Amino acid sequence: MTRIAQIVLSPLIAFVVGVLFLGLSRKIIARIHRRYGPPIYQPVIDMVRLMSQRSISHGALFELGVVLSVAGSFVTVLFIPLGGTEVSRELHPFAHGVLCPLCGSGGLLVVTYLMLFGPLGLALGAGASANPNASIGVSRKMLLAMAYEVPFLLVLLAVMSHYGTISFTEVVARQQQAGWGVLSVPLSAVAGFLILPAMLGIRPFDVATAPQEIASGPLAEYGGSYLALIAVQKAMHLFVVIALYVDLFLGGGVNLATFLLKMLAVFLAAEMINAVLPRLKIEDAVKFCWKWPTALALLQMIITVVSK
Amino acid sequence: MRMLPAIILVFAFAAAGLVYLAGRVHPRLRDVLAVLSSLVLVGVIGYGHGKWDQLICVPDFLGVELSLRLNSLGWFFAVYIALINAGSIVFSLSYMKGKERLNFYYSMMLLVNAGMLGVVLSGDFLSFYIFWETMSWSTYLLISYKRGPALHAGMKYIVMSLVGSCAMLVGILSLHGHYGTLEIAQLGGLLAGASAGYIVFLLLTMGIAFGIKFAILPLHTWMPDAHSEAVSPFSAVLSGVLVRMGMYGFLLIMYSLVGVKTILELGRGAWDFHLLFSWLGALTIVIPTFIALLQDDAKRLLACHGIGQGGDLILGMAFGTSPGVAGGIFHTINHGSYIALLFLVVGAVEYRTGGVRDLNRLGGLMQRMPVAFLGCLVGIMGLIGIPLTNGFVSKWLIYKTLITEGRPFLAFMAFVGTWGTILSVYKLLHNMFLGQLPQEYSRVEKSPLSMQIPILFLCFVIFLFGILPGIPLRAIQGVQREMGFAPLELTLWGLASDVGALNMLNICVALVTAFAVVFLVMRVGPKGRRVAQDDSYAAGAYVPVDRYHHSVEFYNPLYRMISPYLKDRVDEFYYWIADRASGLFDIVRRMYTGYAGTYVLYIVAFLAFLILVQLVWQVW
Amino acid sequence: MDRNQIAKWLKSPAKMANKYSLHAVYFCTGCGIIEIPPVITTRWDAERFGVLPVATPRQGNLFMITGYVSLKTLRAIIRTYEQMPDPKYTVGFGSCPINGGMYWDSYNTIKHLDKYIPVDGWIAGCMPRPEAVFIGVTHLWTLIDKGKADGYLRYKKNYAAYRRNQEMILRDIEWPPLYPVESKAEEVSV
Repeated sequence: MTRIAQIVLSPLIAFVVGVLFLGLSRKIIARIHRRYGPPIYQPVIDMVRLMSQRSISHGALFELGVVLSVAGSFVTVLFIPLGGTEVSRELHPFAHGVLCPLCGSGGLLVVTYLMLFGPLGLALGAGASANPNASIGVSRKMLLAMAYEVPFLLVLLAVMSHYGTISFTEVVARQQQAGWGVLSVPLSAVAGFLILPAMLGIRPFDVATAPQEIASGPLAEYGGSYLALIAVQKAMHLFVVIALYVDLFLGGGVNLATFLLKMLAVFLAAEMINAVLPRLKIEDAVKFCWKWPTALALLQMIITVVSK
Repeated sequence: MRMLPAIILVFAFAAAGLVYLAGRVHPRLRDVLAVLSSLVLVGVIGYGHGKWDQLICVPDFLGVELSLRLNSLGWFFAVYIALINAGSIVFSLSYMKGKERLNFYYSMMLLVNAGMLGVVLSGDFLSFYIFWETMSWSTYLLISYKRGPALHAGMKYIVMSLVGSCAMLVGILSLHGHYGTLEIAQLGGLLAGASAGYIVFLLLTMGIAFGIKFAILPLHTWMPDAHSEAVSPFSAVLSGVLVRMGMYGFLLIMYSLVGVKTILELGRGAWDFHLLFSWLGALTIVIPTFIALLQDDAKRLLACHGIGQGGDLILGMAFGTSPGVAGGIFHTINHGSYIALLFLVVGAVEYRTGGVRDLNRLGGLMQRMPVAFLGCLVGIMGLIGIPLTNGFVSKWLIYKTLITEGRPFLAFMAFVGTWGTILSVYKLLHNMFLGQLPQEYSRVEKSPLSMQIPILFLCFVIFLFGILPGIPLRAIQGVQREMGFAPLELTLWGLASDVGALNMLNICVALVTAFAVVFLVMRVGPKGRRVAQDDSYAAGAYVPVDRYHHSVEFYNPLYRMISPYLKDRVDEFYYWIADRASGLFDIVRRMYTGYAGTYVLYIVAFLAFLILVQLVWQVW
Repeated sequence: MDRNQIAKWLKSPAKMANKYSLHAVYFCTGCGIIEIPPVITTRWDAERFGVLPVATPRQGNLFMITGYVSLKTLRAIIRTYEQMPDPKYTVGFGSCPINGGMYWDSYNTIKHLDKYIPVDGWIAGCMPRPEAVFIGVTHLWTLIDKGKADGYLRYKKNYAAYRRNQEMILRDIEWPPLYPVESKAEEVSV
């Protein structure tokens, strides 16, 4: 498939799957709560309604912050391999080449830095909205990011040292040859799963956007088309984080369908945690993330370095 | 052009003197002369690219010959020094308007400039030392320009700097004693056969001097005070350029003098020199960055970041691999560009609000000072290392080195430092420019033109070097070749390599396209109605004016958790030593009683002692 | 429910989306609010109708006035209503917004809410049961379909009269008028 087709297709797949996951999350939580829940396409209805509303704006930065965060999320998808394999194409009947248009322009380090655009754009826009609820929300979001980044970096560095590379396609290819990441760096996989709710911003770590406490935090002044775009960014962020987890620890996928199935499995596990747990305070969230996930990830990194 | 280094230095020193005299004639003449001379210096140094040469100035000075030289490392640093200085002088035109003793100020700025140029253009260690000292004391004079608390900050700086200079002098004298020559080019070859113990001694003495200038962890305590008490244009120079003189010194002794291979083999068993040095750098990244989180004074926050980024530079430089050293040198100019930019922005805000730099009092200034806001935004993007800024490329090089060399723990400390940076510079941006605008600043005007020009120019440089990093990296390739490294494989917009490539142009095009597409999608819906800042959600009430801004204790939960661990114990330790020493000196002072009888007693006692010695040991 | 009819969606997506995504501003007016938590939780699941509570008026399009309206509350209601984006729908919930209800002769409550903000529909009761809420929501759908739920358009058209009524009862209003008002407005009864 040509590069241009891949560049158009990747974000489109990410958008569709992300919005599907958003709807699926509401349905799953409803069913766990023993009620019916909205239809799976409810986020689409919400977005169309939001696009038809005429909301307010607090200036250029208010609007451009949202655009920046959504654009950043879309570009991040271009750097993540979405299934496909170069290694064992003869063995699998439906395999295709790796679907990752810009993997040659940057690896894991670039992805880690591009993931900063989402929160940064939203933080700029929320700051421009001149509302202390938004400022408190952004400060909590930054603290939560600090909390989960410590174990996440340890996890990422353990994986990168284990495979000796910073190229994403290389990591996935080595897993397809030699076995999944959960078997090579198991403690990192466990630590990564423990901080997955914090990275996704779902319970028990949804303190940054707490509707009941700080009036939706950074989203306090957003409505209309801006809120629709923020919902899109949430969907893309969901996709990016879960795709990252699947690529690092579950060996990617031989084709797109297998990849999406693995993503669905991880997503279901995360949503089941989301459905039953309450919200942690920000201090408790920081203390949790810096305790067990950090300890496990540190242990794994020591083991990896020592065994090299 | 053999005489080019000499011409540059003569011109720089002459400009300093002439500006003072011109100020006596007419202030406008002095301003014009200062700006012109700094810009002409940039031009002349730029013209000297590629004309590497050595020039002997004074054949016999106390048995040593003084020489100047121009090589690629020196040229690189010289261009960067001259540019940031020029920017600061243009900025000072409006910042310092109406202040006192301006002749002294401008001539000192140019003298610091001249001293730094002398340091990077010197060819032997004695002239290096002379220019280093010139730079140090003129910096002291400028730091204490404002009087008041600035005097104390300047005193702290000069005492530590003098300690470092004495250590450096010891190192230089030992070099002269061993090898009889102080010329840098010759010493490079002669030191190849030195013993490991001597090399460690040399590195330690010179390292103390350069480390104090560079503000590495146990030697950093002068920096926050000096940066916050100096005037803002000079803080930009101080933080952007002066501390990087330490970097130049380290590069000089580690790679030009001692050599890559010796550095890498220097160690005993598991205790490698470069490993210890990098751990010092890693600690320097993490601890001051988190101290910066707790600061409420904008300039102290930036100063702590200046210390922290120095750790990044050490991490890049200490490994002796090609991408690491390239990353370290590139990061030097990148860091200079954005920290100078941020100090200039804080200076602009200070100027317009009447000297306020307390982050708890400002807010919402984006509505009144858009250019300053743009400068702050680009500056923090560079400091964090967002893609498309030059900070991203240099950090990418440094992190890649750390990971491929198998040092994930150091990479982890560097990343944690980056995240601490993200938190604290967002607080800087938010408390100054975002949020609600207080009533007392609602009439603040935009920054004047002479402040906007350096701010916009530095923003342009940050993005240019971020999207097309090949431009400065090609110059760095020349430096690498001189120091004996394999040069990087470059294209104009990225780096090619087998363990991970980088293509900034693709990233840039992707981001711009995505931005445009999303912007068009947003325009499909109805455009939002513009509202004032008091039409904000306040749970159904009207916004209480001046009481609806969240800025005090911005990261309160984290403060409570980490502030017990983040006292600056090194600073307290130095103050403890200073107290004990002044107690000791107080005791010694009591020798001088002012009473003539005591002095007679001293003379008589000394004569008695001499008689005793003669009787017992018969010395004479 | 005609949620599954694709033809209707393609003809007027904005109208269909406004019907099936009514996000209610969680504004707790009076004693009626006690009936809302059972409506939105598991037993009488309102989410399957597309009705969700949201925290700020900027994100919502349904405003339920759930009880008696005192003068202090009226100030907050008007401010919240004006901060919501168009199109928006107001529902008076309980007897008190209709005609004063239990507090029909109190000195401190508003007897006729629709003099101050436009109301699209009423749900009678003291308190209405959750099933009554759902009947009200489905009735609101019908009104939106027929284009009769135009409270926000009426507010814009007759803003001068609404503002005059608000100023008369509240004496001093801190926020400026939402739409431009000429100094001499003719007497229009609403």
